[in-house]
Amino acid sequence: MVTKYLFTILAIAASTAFAESCQNPQVEAASFTSLDATVVTQIAYITEFTLKCDNPLPANYALYAEVDGKSLTAARIGENKYQVSWTEEPSKARSGVHEVRILDEEGFASLRRARRSDPAAAVAPLLAIQLNHPGSYSGPWVNSEVLATALSVIVAYTALRNKGNILA
Amino acid sequence: MSGKSNKAFTKEEELLLQDFSRNVSTKSSALFYGNAFIVSAIPIWLFWRVHSLEVNTSLAWFVFVTAISTWLLALAYRNTKFQLKHRVAVRREDAVAREMSRKLADDKKMSRKEKDERILWKKNEVADYEATTFSIFYNNALFLTIVILSSFYLLRSFTPTVNYIVSLTAASGLLALLSTGTK
Repeated sequence: MVTKYLFTILAIAASTAFAESCQNPQVEAASFTSLDATVVTQIAYITEFTLKCDNPLPANYALYAEVDGKSLTAARIGENKYQVSWTEEPSKARSGVHEVRILDEEGFASLRRARRSDPAAAVAPLLAIQLNHPGSYSGPWVNSEVLATALSVIVAYTALRNKGNILA
Repeated sequence: MSGKSNKAFTKEEELLLQDFSRNVSTKSSALFYGNAFIVSAIPIWLFWRVHSLEVNTSLAWFVFVTAISTWLLALAYRNTKFQLKHRVAVRREDAVAREMSRKLADDKKMSRKEKDERILWKKNEVADYEATTFSIFYNNALFLTIVILSSFYLLRSFTPTVNYIVSLTAASGLLALLSTGTK
């Protein structure tokens, strides 16, 4: 427990100590998730964000992300522009808000250190992006052929019963 | 008695016999064949759009199966109608007689025999109409149910062509066969 705290404090200290880490981060994010699960085998989550810091960032400033316990690398796609994406099985894809916790190199390193001793450990992220997945469409509740069968069986039953009534 | 049966039927007797025979009028026959054709052609859409059967390559099968199924369904319509007509006539007898008597009550000039004939004729017409429409409904309902069940469940693993041919001929054949039964 003490070591965990120590690591956290160290991490914060380290992140503030290094001049190259982002000061006062501000982010503008756009996101996309797959909505139609009938034509895909994996649900994709993509978020793109532009990072603004008070201090100028080095050219290859690397960022990492952590989502629902998964560690990911943010791809640098432009000037201070990053993209985080991952996929999930449609059955496991939960709808609602997914919190994408963005970490810089030190934060990510300290997270990995913390995870070694405690798999549920958390480290304060540099910033967090809320990615909303409204849920994907995985086909109608009742298949059309089941519906057609049910309706035709009802009609056929009516016909048979009426014939029975007439012939009775 | 025997002498009477040897005599040729009178015109009225022939008409009466015709009314209760298995033969159907041209109008009724056209209705049966028209309906049978429409119902037999409907599954083409199902197999073309849902089971993705190639239309161009199986055009010959479409024509062939639709023709057979039309013929079998028309046979089933006819037999079912014949089966039902007597029962419908018996069930509607009183109501039709009552209604016709009320209608004809004012007509003093009409003889009793003619009134009876009119009632009989009306009875026949009502029974014919009801049996015809019910027969079409009954056979169509069963035909489409059998086609849906066999094409979606029983013959799902077969190729669409085999599925189409077997589903339709089995459905119409089964109905034609069942309609020949007495019960």
